[in-house]
Amino acid sequence: MRGKVAIIGVGMIPFGEHFQKSLEDMAAEAYITCLESVDKGIAPKEIKAAWFGQWSGGTIGQGAQAGSSLASIIGNMEIPITRVENGCPTGADTFRNACLGVASGVYDVVLALGVEKMRDKPGSESLIAAGGGTGAIMGQHPSWMMGHGGPSLQAFYATRQMYELGFTMEDFAKVAVKNHHNGTFCPYAHYRFEVTVERVLNSPLVCWPLHLLDCCPQTDGAAAAIVCRADLAKKYTDKPIYVLGSNVGHDHANYWDKHNFIEMLATVRAARGAFEMAAVKPEDLDFAEVHDCFTNTELMNIEDIGICRKGEAAKLLNEGEFDTKGRIPVNPSGGLKAHGHPIAATGIGQICEVVWQLREEADKRQVKIKSGIGLQHNVGGPGFGVSGVNILSRSL
Amino acid sequence: MAGIVGYGIYVPRYRLKQADAAMPWANWASGEKAVCGADEDIITMAAEASDKAIKHAGVAPAQIGSIYIGTTSSPYIEQYITPILAETLELASEATMIDYSGSVNSTANALLGCLDAIESGRTKYGIVIGTEDRATAPGTEGEASFGAAAAAFVIGKDGIIADIEGVYTYSTLFIDRWRATKDTWVSNYFDYRFDREFGYEKHVVAASKGLMGKIGIKTEDFRYAVFQQPDERLPGLAARALGISSELLAPGMASILGDLGSCSAFISLAGVLDTAKAGERILLTSYGSGSSNAFSMIVRDQIEQKKKNLGVPLERYLEQKEYIDYVSYLKITKALKRAPY
Amino acid sequence: MSSPAPASPLFWRFNPEVYRLIGVRCKDCGHITYPRRKICPICGSLNLEEHKLSRRGTVQTYAINWVLPPGLEPPVPVVIVDLEGGGKYQGIITEVTNPEDVKIGDKVEMVLRKVVTDRGLNIYGYKFRLVEEG
Repeated sequence: MRGKVAIIGVGMIPFGEHFQKSLEDMAAEAYITCLESVDKGIAPKEIKAAWFGQWSGGTIGQGAQAGSSLASIIGNMEIPITRVENGCPTGADTFRNACLGVASGVYDVVLALGVEKMRDKPGSESLIAAGGGTGAIMGQHPSWMMGHGGPSLQAFYATRQMYELGFTMEDFAKVAVKNHHNGTFCPYAHYRFEVTVERVLNSPLVCWPLHLLDCCPQTDGAAAAIVCRADLAKKYTDKPIYVLGSNVGHDHANYWDKHNFIEMLATVRAARGAFEMAAVKPEDLDFAEVHDCFTNTELMNIEDIGICRKGEAAKLLNEGEFDTKGRIPVNPSGGLKAHGHPIAATGIGQICEVVWQLREEADKRQVKIKSGIGLQHNVGGPGFGVSGVNILSRSL
Repeated sequence: MAGIVGYGIYVPRYRLKQADAAMPWANWASGEKAVCGADEDIITMAAEASDKAIKHAGVAPAQIGSIYIGTTSSPYIEQYITPILAETLELASEATMIDYSGSVNSTANALLGCLDAIESGRTKYGIVIGTEDRATAPGTEGEASFGAAAAAFVIGKDGIIADIEGVYTYSTLFIDRWRATKDTWVSNYFDYRFDREFGYEKHVVAASKGLMGKIGIKTEDFRYAVFQQPDERLPGLAARALGISSELLAPGMASILGDLGSCSAFISLAGVLDTAKAGERILLTSYGSGSSNAFSMIVRDQIEQKKKNLGVPLERYLEQKEYIDYVSYLKITKALKRAPY
Repeated sequence: MSSPAPASPLFWRFNPEVYRLIGVRCKDCGHITYPRRKICPICGSLNLEEHKLSRRGTVQTYAINWVLPPGLEPPVPVVIVDLEGGGKYQGIITEVTNPEDVKIGDKVEMVLRKVVTDRGLNIYGYKFRLVEEG
C-alpha cells in the first residue's frame, strides 16, 4: 500500500440529528463537498469506481443495501460500486477497499463514501440495536445474549479495566470532558458543549459502570474521500495525503472465546498490521482519531494501538498527554463522543479530520504536526470482533 | 409394592400478601403466598425440584424410564412439557413422556400411573413431578390464594425411603372450580359451603376410608395425615369426619405458600419426610375436580442414610422470602401490561 | 428484525447446547467453546471433541444494564462466568434484588429459566443464581 495511494479530496456534512435530511440528501451533500474540496478541480467522470459504506441496510431506519443505491445518488451508473458493511469499522474498511482498488493498479481514481441515517428511529431503539442483537439474528441463543444492548458489551470491559488496571469511573468521565471540549472547536461535531466529570457521573446509568454521558450519541451523517494513484496526486492537489498502511483485524465475536476483558485483539491486530505495512511505529504518530464509542473504550484503544502500555492510559489522560495541546493528542475532532457516530460515516469522517490536521487546516483544534503522520481507528461489529486502522502521512 | 426412592422440592422466593390481592376488590383474604418471578414457570420450578430428587435418590438420569408430570398450569394445550424437563435432566430418549393435566388431582393420578408402570415391570425407576402456578385473574379468589411450587419424587423398588403400601381412588362427577378453554383464569368456588361438603370432604373421606378398608389399617396406625390444602380449614374438616386427630395433620401451608394445586399434598409430603422416622405411617389424600386418591406410605431406614443428599428442606424454603407488591405481581402474571406505544 | 421462532430448526439445533451444555473442546490447544463446531476458533484445528460444560462457576466480569429491549425489566446483571472445569459462559444473573450485590469472583450456579416467549411458545435457557456461602 505504501507509496501507491493518495487522498486528493475529503468532504463531510456536519454530524448531528438531521430529521429533515434523507439518507440520499446526506450522501449527495457529502459527495458534492468532497468533489469541491479537490484543490485543482476534478470532473465526476474521472472517478472510475466507488465503495459505499452503509451499516444498517435499513434495520434502524432508512438504509441502503447495494452499491447501486450510491450509483443512483451520485448520478453515475457507469462505474462499479460495492457496498461495504463491517460493523462499526464500516467507514475504515470502505476506505481500505477504495485504497486497494487503486493500489491494485486497476483504477486510477476512486471514491469512498459512508452514510448513516440513525435518527429515523427514537434514540433508545437505535442504541439498543446498535449495541446488540436478540440472539437468533447473530446465530447465538437468546439465553446467552439476552439482557444486552447499548454499551453492555463494552461495560464488561469497563468492569475489568476498573478491577485489573485500577481505572475509575472518574477516569472514564474525563475522556468525555476532553472530547466534548475538543468538539466545541469542531464545526462538524454533533455536540458543541462542554461537560464536567460531575455531569457525566450524575447522568443516568445506561449500563453500570457506564452512564448516559459515557456513551456516544446516535447520529446522522455522511463523509467521503477521493483516492487516487500516488504518482497522479499532484495533478489534483498540492497537498495530497498519502496512505501508508490500511488494515482490518479480528477477534472472536463470542465473548466466551475472548482471552481477557482489558484488551481488544481486533484493534491490536489491525494496528499491528497497519504499522507493519506503513513501516512506522506508534511513537511516530503526531495524533490519533480513535473509536471512543464509550469513554472506557478510548483508553483501551490507545493502549491496544500501542500508543502507551496496557494500564497506563488513565494516568496519561490525567496528565493531559492526550489533550489537543498534549504530547500525543487523541480525538482532536471531539471523538465519537462529541463528534458523533453515524456508523458507516464515522471512519471516513475521521479520515477527513486526519487529512485536515495533517494539512494544518484544522483551525482552532489544530494539533502540532512534527512527523506528519496520523492514525484513524475504529472497532466494533458483533462482539467487538472487527477493527479497521488507517495510517496517513503528509509525505510519501 | 414400589415406593419413594428420593424427593426434592422448589419454592420460589417471592411472596405476596394475600390481602394485597383481595382488598382492592373488596374481598377478604389473609396470610401470604409464594409467587413465581418473571422468568419462572412450572417448567423451571419442576426442573429444580426434579434435579434435587434425582440426586437425593442416588440414581443416574439415564435410569429414569418414565417421567410423569401433573399440573393444571401448562402454558400449552398441545405441546408436552415433559420433553423440556427430559432435556435439562438429561434423560434418555427412551424415557416415556407422560403429561397429566385437567385437575389438581393430576399429580396424584401421575403417581398412580407411575406405580402401575413399575409394578408391571415396564419401568424400573420413574419420576413424578407436581408443579403448579395456576392461572389467575384480578378480583378472583385464586388471585389471592393460588401459590406456586414444585415437588418431585423418584419412584422405584430399590433404595426405597418410603414404601407405598396401598392406594385407593374415589371419584364422582362433581364441579366446584373449573377453567374452560376460553378462560385465562380458574373460576371461584361456585358455592363454597356446597363445594366443601360434597366436594372436598366427601371425596377425601371416601378415598381415605376406602384405602384403610382395602389394606386393613385403622386411623390409629397413621402418624401423619397429609391432605390436599386448598385452604387452612378443609383438611381439619376431613380429619374430623375421619376421626383423625388434628395433631396428625401436616402443617398448614395454605396461608404460608398458598393453595398449591396439584402439588399441594406433595409439598406437604416432602415437609413430613424431611423429619419422619423409620416405621412411621403416612396417609396422603389428594383432591381435585371430584376425584380423590389416597395413598398409604411407611417410612424406611434408608431415609436416614440418604439425608445427606437431600436438596433444600421445606423449612428452609419457608425462611427464604422476599415480598413483592400487588402491582409487581400483576406485571408478572401479565394482568397488567405496558402499552406498546 | 425477525423474531426468535422457537419452532425453527435454529432453536432445535441448539437443544444439546442450551439444555445439556454440550460444547466442544479442542484436543490441540484445549480451548472450550460452544455452539459445537468443526474448527477450533483459536487455533484452527480440526481435532475437536464434545465437551459437557459445568453448571457452576465464578463471575469473571459483569455489567448492570438499565436500558433494555421490551420483555426484560431493568436492572439486569449480565455476566461472563468462568465455569468449573473450563470454558466461559455468558448469561444473566437472576433473583438479584440489589445489583450492587454482584462482584467479580462471586460463585454462581445455573438454573433453568424462561428466556423469551414468541408465538405463545417459551424459550428456556440457563441463567445464573448467586450461590449462598455456607
